[in-house]
Amino acid sequence: IDTAALPRPLDGDVEPKSLAEMYPMNCSSRSLRLTTSGIPSSMSLASRWHLPLGAIVCPLAESPAGEEVPIVNFVTTGIIRCKRCRTYVNPFVSFTDNGRKWKCNICSLLNDVPGDYFAHMDASGRRVDLDQRPELTQGTIEFIAPAEYMVRPPMPPLYFFLIDVSISAVKSGMLEVMAQTIKSCLDSLPGYPRTQIGFITYDSTIHFYNMKSSLMQPQMMVVSDLDDVFIPLPDDLLVNLSESRNVVEAFLDSLPSMFQDNMNVESALGSALKAAFTVMRQLGGKLLIFQNTLPSLGVGRLRLRGEDIRVYGTDKEHASRVPEDPFYKQMAADLTKYQIAVNIYAFSDKYTDIASLGTLAKYTGGQVYYYPSFQSSIHKDKLRHELTRDLTRETAWEAVMRIRCSKGVRFVSYHGNFMLRSTDLLALPAVDCDKAYAAQLSLEESLLTTQTVYFQVALLYTSSSGERRIRVHTAAAPVVADLGEMYRLADTGAIISLFSRLAIEKSLSHKLEDARNTIQLRIVKALREYRNLYAVQHRLSGKMIYPESLKFLPLYGLALCKSIPLRGGYADAQIDERCAAGYTMMALPVKKLLKLLYPNLVRVDDSVVNLSPQTDESDIIRKRLPLTAESLDTRGLYIFDDGFRFIIWFGRSISPDIVRNLVGEDFTGDFSKVSLSPRDNEMSRKLMKILNKFRKSDPSYYQLCHLVRQGEQPREGFFLLGNLVDDQNGGANS
Amino acid sequence: MAAPELAQTDPEGIEGVRMTWLNWPRSKVEASKCVIPIAASIQPIRPHVDLQILPYPPLRCKTCSAVLNPFCRVDFTALIWICPFCFQRNHFPQHYSSISQTNVPAELYPNFPSIEYSIPNYQNPQNYPAVAPSPIYLFVLDTCMIEEELEFAKSALKRAIGMLPDNAMVGFISYGTQVQVHELGFSEMSKVYVFRGSKELSRDQVLEQLGLGVSGGRRAGPGIQKGGAGPSPTAGAGPSPTAGAGPNMGINRFLLPASECEYTLNSLLDELATDQWPVAPGNRALRCTGVALSVAAGLLGASTAGTGARIIALVGGPCTEGPGAIVSKDLSDPVRSHKDLDKDAAPFFKKAVHFYDELGKQLVSQGHVLDVFASALDQVGIAEMKVAIEKTGGLVVLAESFGHSVFKDSFKRIFEDGEQSLGLSFNGTLEINCSKDIKVQGIIGPCTSLEKKGPAVANTVIGQGNTTAWKMCGLDKNSCLTVFFDVSSSEKSDPAGSNPLLYIQFLTSYQSPDGQMRLRVTTVTRRWVDSTLGNEDLIQGFDQEVAAVVMARLASYKMEMEEGFDATRWLDRNLIRLCSKFGDYRKDDPASFTLNPCFSLFPQFMFNLRRSQFVQVFNNSPDETAYFRILLNRETISNAAVMIQPSLISYAFNSLPAPALLDVQSIAADRILLLDSYFSVVIFHGMTIAQWRNMGYQNQPEHQGFALLLQAPHDDAQLIIRDRFPVPRLVVCDQHGSQARFLLAKLNPSATYSNAHEMMNSGSDVIFTDDVSLQVFIDHLQRLAVQAS
Ligand SMILES: [Zn+2]
Ligand SMILES: [Zn+2]
Repeated sequence: IDTAALPRPLDGDVEPKSLAEMYPMNCSSRSLRLTTSGIPSSMSLASRWHLPLGAIVCPLAESPAGEEVPIVNFVTTGIIRCKRCRTYVNPFVSFTDNGRKWKCNICSLLNDVPGDYFAHMDASGRRVDLDQRPELTQGTIEFIAPAEYMVRPPMPPLYFFLIDVSISAVKSGMLEVMAQTIKSCLDSLPGYPRTQIGFITYDSTIHFYNMKSSLMQPQMMVVSDLDDVFIPLPDDLLVNLSESRNVVEAFLDSLPSMFQDNMNVESALGSALKAAFTVMRQLGGKLLIFQNTLPSLGVGRLRLRGEDIRVYGTDKEHASRVPEDPFYKQMAADLTKYQIAVNIYAFSDKYTDIASLGTLAKYTGGQVYYYPSFQSSIHKDKLRHELTRDLTRETAWEAVMRIRCSKGVRFVSYHGNFMLRSTDLLALPAVDCDKAYAAQLSLEESLLTTQTVYFQVALLYTSSSGERRIRVHTAAAPVVADLGEMYRLADTGAIISLFSRLAIEKSLSHKLEDARNTIQLRIVKALREYRNLYAVQHRLSGKMIYPESLKFLPLYGLALCKSIPLRGGYADAQIDERCAAGYTMMALPVKKLLKLLYPNLVRVDDSVVNLSPQTDESDIIRKRLPLTAESLDTRGLYIFDDGFRFIIWFGRSISPDIVRNLVGEDFTGDFSKVSLSPRDNEMSRKLMKILNKFRKSDPSYYQLCHLVRQGEQPREGFFLLGNLVDDQNGGANS
Repeated sequence: MAAPELAQTDPEGIEGVRMTWLNWPRSKVEASKCVIPIAASIQPIRPHVDLQILPYPPLRCKTCSAVLNPFCRVDFTALIWICPFCFQRNHFPQHYSSISQTNVPAELYPNFPSIEYSIPNYQNPQNYPAVAPSPIYLFVLDTCMIEEELEFAKSALKRAIGMLPDNAMVGFISYGTQVQVHELGFSEMSKVYVFRGSKELSRDQVLEQLGLGVSGGRRAGPGIQKGGAGPSPTAGAGPSPTAGAGPNMGINRFLLPASECEYTLNSLLDELATDQWPVAPGNRALRCTGVALSVAAGLLGASTAGTGARIIALVGGPCTEGPGAIVSKDLSDPVRSHKDLDKDAAPFFKKAVHFYDELGKQLVSQGHVLDVFASALDQVGIAEMKVAIEKTGGLVVLAESFGHSVFKDSFKRIFEDGEQSLGLSFNGTLEINCSKDIKVQGIIGPCTSLEKKGPAVANTVIGQGNTTAWKMCGLDKNSCLTVFFDVSSSEKSDPAGSNPLLYIQFLTSYQSPDGQMRLRVTTVTRRWVDSTLGNEDLIQGFDQEVAAVVMARLASYKMEMEEGFDATRWLDRNLIRLCSKFGDYRKDDPASFTLNPCFSLFPQFMFNLRRSQFVQVFNNSPDETAYFRILLNRETISNAAVMIQPSLISYAFNSLPAPALLDVQSIAADRILLLDSYFSVVIFHGMTIAQWRNMGYQNQPEHQGFALLLQAPHDDAQLIIRDRFPVPRLVVCDQHGSQARFLLAKLNPSATYSNAHEMMNSGSDVIFTDDVSLQVFIDHLQRLAVQAS
């Protein structure tokens, strides 16, 4: 494949519009994207598709202003659902028998319309009250769930912090940044005044904190019996934030100084985790773990697993990418059962076995944040931003999700961070807008006789305000009998999203090479199949041809193979970094993933010098460049943005004036030691403004700036050149 | 019978030693015929105005290491002294060269059979006066109680901490369902180490969990990262995680000078709440006294060897959780009674006693003391803990409430300074040297055998035996031990030849309240008598008060040790034998029976002992019995005698206060009685006195005499109370009032309902009891004593 000839996705993720045009009442593609909206009518057709058939669901995707999800409360009638298949009433149901019956669009059952929900039909056969029934006109709706949707009273939002305070946590400054950040978020944690909070710290012992509201100061309680961890207090380890606010603040104020002389190098994570579990299990909630070193004591103690260059390329290669000790997976199962979601924050400069730790996040619907070699002078803003977002974003609690679809098709596998409770029920102790889930679809019947297939995503959850709710997304998709149609209706973003999950999962049981090859093979097969369709027209060229909808697929496929979880071999990524990136990518929504795979590259030297205050920075962002070394002018200043970090590239011949203004007098020094901070000059202000614009457009992570000077090795190679996916040397070759 | 009259002002004297027999029978057989064992009651560190403190180390015999004493023969010209125990000739060292007939060192003064040496700290190589090691006070507070009780206990603790000397080291442990060791040295916030209440822990485990392990914290397990990817410290060269001597390291995290932690402790106590763990209905609180005490002992195990320390435990109820539990948590199971113990129906008892025995051993090996202050309406397990308290020389006080003066004032006493000070000392060791033919059977009292074998160890054992050395982790001015002797020589041999004197030397080394090491040397001499020549010497040398106390201690000991022991029969038999041997009578003629005055009080003592709480245990709980016995064994002879036979003083118009017969006949409507039974002091107003008082005569100027009469017994009661530890319960009552039982229970029932008609006179009272009266008892005794055997 000649990569130089491939079209480049310089406009980022462009969602296909055809389905929305076909079915205007469908839910937004923010919530549900199909890898192709042309559902094959037969198995034989499906088998010629070669690409994954499925959907990417982001149940709580943020809605733009003005498109808020309508909330419906069926107080008198109860929620209207199909008696047989439990589908929620939606715009695609039809009313018959003068409005006394409704027909389920998914299973075709004729249901009675309850008296209180009855409405007459107008001349055109529509209910007369249609304009007051958003559930019958909108693809995304939220129902207030009555008591029968609860097994217990809705839980309050709960944040529990499990903090490793061994020596490196203090030395790196992590503890201080974390404590300050949590304190600054106390006013904006969701769910006031019901929000609950609690803390455990640990090194070679477990430290609990009594936060009883009547205390002036918290009381610290140390439990050293790691083999038999127990709770030192029946209550008050978990407190109502508004009642115990003063104690919580006092605790966060003293946390950094409390451990400033701590020389303890041990970390009893497993035992601390069990302790936190015991404290939280009554309610559930979010458990944020701040881990600074390899867990070294007690249950779940991990060993320094040799990342051995010799196992690469052998059948044992994958072993370092999966947990060795079953403790973490078992623990994750228990946590999920009690509605506890785990987010891992890892900070070590050494091996921490993210493969094992991440398991906790993976099976509890959580997330892994990785800050290798954390130093507060460098990473403070990143941690502060990401922790703030984690704590303050709207969160759905104790949730379960199910995707229903019409007869004849069936979801056969699910991919992402969750625990599968039964064959099709995803347990999600906590969900938010930054989490997406993938599912693969297969045909159950050899021939679909209907013209339309319906999908309905239902997320039953507890809102931070303490209401039990059901978020329902419904979409229709046409059944097609023509392979060309399938290809035309394909969605590259959804395909790549599903591919990335499948490949990362495959890398956990196979060689990296196998995982990459599988993707490439499927893409090649698909394109070959497509070419065969049009063999007559293109017989002579021998060139690749692809439908408009898939024109970026080869490049994204290539980029996926060069992404951190899948790239190269032993030397191409540290094992922890690989695993952390893998856990992150498993949960990313489509847009974020595509940006990570094909980052933005823009030239800004001209803007920094000449930008007028009236100019909208968005214009700059739009001027994206191909990710190739040829895009880089030695006189230029460039920003590379993959959504997780910025790389600011200074060309060799750039005006020293610019460098001095942006970096200061030590502009000739080692850039690894220089951090880009706002300076009192126009150029610096302009650059900051541009960076802020970038960040604002994509707030789920914080892009930390890495400065790179052209020709500065190995820095330039590592940070930038290695990430120019278009180039042959970008990433490891396959 | 005469009223008890114990007029001797200072029977112990500077020796601090009283013996059942001043003159000793020569042979084993003769000794056994004397009925009352040869025993000495010693107060090893009794204060005395004449006691000399010598600022130099003692001279010791090079053979038997007895210390130079007034009974040594000294050759002043040759500068030689002869040891009276082994007859070894010892040279005086150089610095004694100036002694002479007229310049005798204090330790040779005949007036000073007791003398004390102040021992410099030998560990200090330069022989500089070392800094006295500060004693440790480790408070252990039960929190399983109602708020009100906890407040009482907390305020007592606060007051105590305020009274401690500035340099005293203080630690604090609270417990309930779990144990919390407070790290007083942690400045950021209140910090505790928590231990599960249900889990038995070894000392090493306790230290390990407190971060005080010998290894200096946990060793890294396999798989610990030393030099992984990226730069890292070289393997093994990193700092040890918890070892080291930094300011926050070691036991100083938990034990701070009182002056430094008083504020911390006070605010900690202010915030300390009752145990938070829920108690199910119908259940007792989960209270892990056993684990709390073993954690306390473990913590003290990290202190420097030789440091005096006491665990001061405030216990509010029975241990129901973990090792040392004495009852189940189910409230429908009552705490064991004497009946249960007799029938072996106390499932927790033996295990708990074993646990506390082991705890006691650990404390003794560390040289530390266990004090228990129990306040509860039900039992808390003193019966089980007794072994640990007694072996370590600990204090015990049993009260109904932490708000009661019995607890409050007693607790205050232990921290008092100066005149009122109990003189609590640490790390005591007692050694006994004695003349040939004298063997030591053992000691009853607050000490532990050090199992030091030697020729003076008797074959038979009483109490802490098999040794000539004992550990007394805690001892004070009043501490009293009963040493039981045996005579080994047979009738025929007379190896001591013509020497009619025997010698016994008591060597007590201890750490005084101000931290100095002291050695008290008491050397006593007594006479051998040949009883084949007559009883006169034996009779004249009989100390009936000591004998009564020794019999009480021995009877109590046998009741605890010998299954099915019948104390009443044993006492009766011995009393009869004693009277047969030493009484004057014609055979089979009870009317002819008389006793020498040296014995005349003894039968009444035995009469009261038979009726006392020490023998009639079924009237009390096992906890109370244990408590009474601990005090019986550790108190002075005169105090112990009052426990057995209370004293009664009568106050009336127109006469001085006078001792009254311990008899119901002493009650009169126009008298006030003051009864001192040691554990309680009762002021009892006759009916008329009470009426007058109720009418307020004492407030009228013309009845000033009545006011004075009312006041007098109160003043005397205060004198008794002030000097005593534990502080007795003061009961003020009126004739026919409900509290009057405190008096009546102790009186001789000379008027019972069986002879009520004859005895009703001048407002006296009747005691409804089946007990025999003293007169009946004496009649029986005389009849049996004169029977030909
Ligand atoms: Zn249906
Ligand atoms: Zn000698």
